[in-house]
Amino acid sequence: MEKRYVDPSQVVREGLIPLLPRLRRLARALTGQVDDADDLLQIVLERAMTRAAQWRPDAALDKWVFAIARNAWRDELRARGRSQRLFAGEEAGVMAADGNSGPAQKLELAAALVALPPDHREVVALVLVEGLSYSEAAELLQVPVGTVTSRLARARAALQSYLGNGT
Amino acid sequence: MNLIDDDTLQAYADGELDATNTARIDAALAHDDLLRRRLQQTRALRAQLKAAFDPVLDEPVPARLSALLQPARPQAPMPIKPLAQAAGRRGFDAGRRRASRRWWKPVAAATASVAVLAVTLWWHAGRAPLSVHDDRQYATAPLSDALDRALASEPDPHASVGIGLSFRSTDGRICRTFIDRAKPTLAGLACHDDAGWRLSVLTAAKKPEEGELRQAASSMPPAVQAAVDARIRGEAFDARQERAARDAGWR
Repeated sequence: MEKRYVDPSQVVREGLIPLLPRLRRLARALTGQVDDADDLLQIVLERAMTRAAQWRPDAALDKWVFAIARNAWRDELRARGRSQRLFAGEEAGVMAADGNSGPAQKLELAAALVALPPDHREVVALVLVEGLSYSEAAELLQVPVGTVTSRLARARAALQSYLGNGT
Repeated sequence: MNLIDDDTLQAYADGELDATNTARIDAALAHDDLLRRRLQQTRALRAQLKAAFDPVLDEPVPARLSALLQPARPQAPMPIKPLAQAAGRRGFDAGRRRASRRWWKPVAAATASVAVLAVTLWWHAGRAPLSVHDDRQYATAPLSDALDRALASEPDPHASVGIGLSFRSTDGRICRTFIDRAKPTLAGLACHDDAGWRLSVLTAAKKPEEGELRQAASSMPPAVQAAVDARIRGEAFDARQERAARDAGWR
């Protein structure tokens, strides 16, 4: 196998710049907090640059880096679980962006999202916030499409009931 | 009338349903008020989420993040180096919030404790402990012997190869991180398959201090750590699991 020299870090770095806003949105949805989201994103960017050589040009860069983000957040949750230093609760709710829905509603939604189990929250973030198809999300999460579907349905039901929209 | 379950209804709302089922839902919606209400709620939730998060797209990206994607200095031999420096500054910035620092700390520590060259050696290593079959790189002795036999729970300070973490990967294989202390010192991740220990990552590393190896997750070069993060399923093995895996031939 001949190895051609292409500087993968340059390709990845330049490809990531236009993805930054979407990465921030995904990180916000995953973590539920502004500060956690940007700290997560910092780690994601560093990992992406470290791993640039592993990116294959035929793979979509956005999905590739989304997977890094999801895995990095999982790692962080594991680390927090291990060290018993959960603090998401104390600051949950500051994630809301300036938008046109009322602050109270955004707080509610943020709190509801944070209350979801991580594997439900990441499906919500990828499909409902980021707009991935079920099969794209399944590939990224390395689970069957049926798993994505059922997690999403359960997450939606939980969110509806938190938000008082339940049937 | 068939009851339309939540999975099917959400697939309809998300545009994920095939034509036959879409037609079935369309028909049902025409005469089913409850179904229409459920559909509307499903769509409203998605719209609410979009409304909450889409404005993030218009927020200015913090400079500390966009700075990470600035080109490296001209002639900089290792693209990772400016990144690591930026990370250090940010990690020790006293103005950061407590929570943020705490979240950052393990990575900052890893960055500081290992002077990473971040050179992927694959073919470039002058002393690459690997052989190639079918375009795959496999560990050769003495690295392969150490991967077969050594236990992180019983480290041998005189051995040239030290084992860090062992774990099962998402594809079911057992993987182990290692540091080969001979010069140049190499660190990497190898996963066991039928042909032996296949190297996933091999990078240059600084020779670790004695006793540092066991905390491999935090002292491994970022490339190795990232490879572990990408593959690990569940937690790394404890001493008992590591021994059992060895006894079972790393299957």
